[in-house]
Amino acid sequence: MTMSGIAFPSLHHRKRKRSGWRGLLYIAPAMALVTVFFVLPVLFTVWMSLHKWPLLGKPAWIGFGNYVRMVSDARFMAALGFTAHYTIIVTIAIFALAFPLAMFVEKPRPLVSAYRTIIFLPVVVGLASASLLWVWLANVDSGLFAPLMQRLGLTNGRINLLADFDTAFLTIIVMVVWKIAGFTMIILLTGLQAIPAELTEAARIDGARRWQRFRYLTLPLMRRTMALALILSVTGSILAFDQFYIMTSGGPQNRMISVVYYIFNQSFVSFNLGYGAALSIALLAILVTISIFQLWLLNVGDERP
Amino acid sequence: MLKRLLATTLAYGLGLSVASAETISMWVRTGIGDSFKEVVKAYNAAGEDKVELTEVPFSELVQKYATAIAGGQAPDALSLDLIYTPAFAAAGQLEDLSEWAKSLPYFSSLSPSHVKLGTYEDKIYGLPLSVETSIFAWNKELYRKAGLDPEKAPKTWGEITANAEKIRALGGDTYGFYFSGGGCGGCMIFTFTPLVWGAGADILSPDSKKATLDTPEMRKAVDIYRNLVAKDTVPAGSASDNGVNFLTFTNGKIGQQSIGAFAIGTLVTQHPEIDFGVTLIPGVDGKPSSFAGGDNFVVTKGTPKLEAVKKFLEFTYSMEGQKIMAKYGSLPTRGDIAGEVLEGLDPRLKVGIEAIAVAKTPYTLQFNDLINSSNGPWATFINAAIYGDDVDGAFSNAQSEMQSIIDAGQ
Repeated sequence: MTMSGIAFPSLHHRKRKRSGWRGLLYIAPAMALVTVFFVLPVLFTVWMSLHKWPLLGKPAWIGFGNYVRMVSDARFMAALGFTAHYTIIVTIAIFALAFPLAMFVEKPRPLVSAYRTIIFLPVVVGLASASLLWVWLANVDSGLFAPLMQRLGLTNGRINLLADFDTAFLTIIVMVVWKIAGFTMIILLTGLQAIPAELTEAARIDGARRWQRFRYLTLPLMRRTMALALILSVTGSILAFDQFYIMTSGGPQNRMISVVYYIFNQSFVSFNLGYGAALSIALLAILVTISIFQLWLLNVGDERP
Repeated sequence: MLKRLLATTLAYGLGLSVASAETISMWVRTGIGDSFKEVVKAYNAAGEDKVELTEVPFSELVQKYATAIAGGQAPDALSLDLIYTPAFAAAGQLEDLSEWAKSLPYFSSLSPSHVKLGTYEDKIYGLPLSVETSIFAWNKELYRKAGLDPEKAPKTWGEITANAEKIRALGGDTYGFYFSGGGCGGCMIFTFTPLVWGAGADILSPDSKKATLDTPEMRKAVDIYRNLVAKDTVPAGSASDNGVNFLTFTNGKIGQQSIGAFAIGTLVTQHPEIDFGVTLIPGVDGKPSSFAGGDNFVVTKGTPKLEAVKKFLEFTYSMEGQKIMAKYGSLPTRGDIAGEVLEGLDPRLKVGIEAIAVAKTPYTLQFNDLINSSNGPWATFINAAIYGDDVDGAFSNAQSEMQSIIDAGQ
C-alpha cells in the first residue's frame, strides 16, 4: 500500500505507456496468425512468381518473365472472360432470389423460422458435396432431371444436361444459387431487421407507397449490408473452382475453365508452379481492385450511421 | 492355463517378428483392376514384410506423386503408368535400379516396351509391373438376342456399326456401343488411337516433335464414331463421361466396347454372369492394332527400404506372383514363363497377349499435358470432334495446340 502511494505521481504516465504495449500484446495473436498464414505465403508466392519453378527440379530466376507471358496467354484471357461472365450472372441470380426471400422471411408470419431453416439448409452442405450431389441429379441415365423431364414429356428422349455448354452452365448456376442464396438471404435479413420500425411507419404516415418505401428508405439503409453481401458473393464467384472441377471437369470442350481452375492446371497438371504463382498474384490484384471499387460504388466508409 | 500361456508366448514371438519386418508404403492408381491388389494381399499373408497400399484416382496420380515428392511425403514405391516413367526419371526423382535389375536371371525376358520406357539415359528406373493391352469386347448374350452370331468376332468397323444398330433395336436402355467421350484423354488414347495406328497413321511424329493429328485416317476414325453416335447406338452419358464410367460394359447392357485386358480379369472374377467375347480392335481399314500400356514399378529416390522393396518385386516376378496377376487380368510381365502362367486360366486372356505383337506405346515427356489432362488438346479434341458441330475446327484447334505445347516444352 505504501509503495503504491509513493509511486503515485508517475503512475499516470506509466499507465499510458503500458497501455500502448498492452494493446499490442492483445492484437499480437491475431497479428501472428495473419503474418504466418497470409503475409508470409503471399510474399513467398511473389518470390516464386519471379522464377521458372517446376514442381520437380530446381527453380531458376526469370524476373518478370511469367508476367510477360501472362499478357499474351490466350487461355488465361479466356479463363478471365469466363470467370467474369460467371460472376456477373451468378451474382445477379443470387441477389434476385435472396432479396425477395429475405423480405419474405423478415415479416412475422406463421412458420417463419421453419422457412428460414429450410432455405438456409443447403448452405451447410459443403460445395464439393453439393457438386457431387448435383452431378448425380444431372446424370442422364441414373439421375433425376433428365428422366423426369422425359416422363413429363418436356423433352423428346433424355437430354444429357452436362454435355452441352448452355445446359451445363445453367445446371451449375442453379446449383450455386440453391447452395448460396440462403446465406445471402441471412445477411440481407440482418440488414432489414436493423431498419427501425418507426422509420417505415413514419414513411407510411407521410403517404409513401410500397415501392417508394423500398426505393428511398430500405435500399439506402441497406447499403452497408448489401456491400458485404455483394463483396462476399463476387469474391466467392471469382474464386469458383469446385463446381467446374467436379461437375464438368472444365466443361464441354474446356469452355468452363475458371481462373482458379487454370491456375490449378498450370501448377499441378503442367507443373509450372512459378507461372501458377504469377497468375495467383494477378488474381489477388484483380480481387483487391474489384473490392475497393465496390466499396467506393456503394459509398461505404464515408459516413457512420 | 498352459494353452493360454502358450498363446501369449506365441503372440509375443509373433509381435517380435512383426516388429523386425518392414512396412513398405506403396501407391497404385485406380482403374487397373485387382491384379496388383491381390498380389499384395498374398504377399502380406505369407511374408514377414508388409506392403501398405494406397489407391489414388488415376487422373490425379501424377500430380499427387509429384506434390508428395516436393513435400517429402512420397511413398517408397509406386505403380506408375509406364508412359510417365521417362518424365519422372528425367526429373531425377527415381532410384536407379540398373545393377540389381540386370542381375535378375529373367531380366532379358521382361516386357521390352516397359523396360524401354523405364530406361532413361542408359539407366533403368522402372521395371514392368503390369501389362495391359486394349482389345475389343462384345456381349454374346446381346448378340444372340439381336439375332447375330455370338461366336463371330467383328473384323471391321462396318460390321461393328451394323451390329450396334441391331443391338440398339432391342430398345430400352440397351445400347450397341460405348466409349468415355467426355474429356477422358487416357481412355481414348487407349481405345481409339488403335483405329488409326492399324492403318499406319499416328498422332505424333516418331520423334514426338510434331503433332500429326489431322490425317485422312483420323478423319475416317472420327467419322466412324460420329456415325455410331448419330445412329443413337451410344448412351447419352458418354458425352460427359470423364472416365468414371469407363467400364460401362460390365453393366451388361452394352453390346460392344473397346476395353483393356485388365477388364477381362474384372469381368471373369466379378461379373461371371456376363458372357463376352474378345478380339483385336480393328483399324479404320480393318488391320488391327492396340495400345500396350500398363504400369512400371518405380522406387522413390532415397527410400530407406530399398531392400524390402526389391524383395517384394521379386515375389511379384515369381511364378506364384505372376499367376495371381494373370488371374485378375494383368498379362504376364515375364515372357519366359508366360505360357506356363496362363495355363488353365481364361483363354480370352490370350487375345490380350496376341495384341502385344501389333501394339504401340507413345513415348513423350509431355504425355500428361498433351494426352491425359482432361483439359488438354487430345481430350478436348475427342469431345469436340465426335460430339461437336465443327469437326474441321476441332482438328485445327487441337493440331495447333498440341504443336504449341510440344514447342513450349523443348
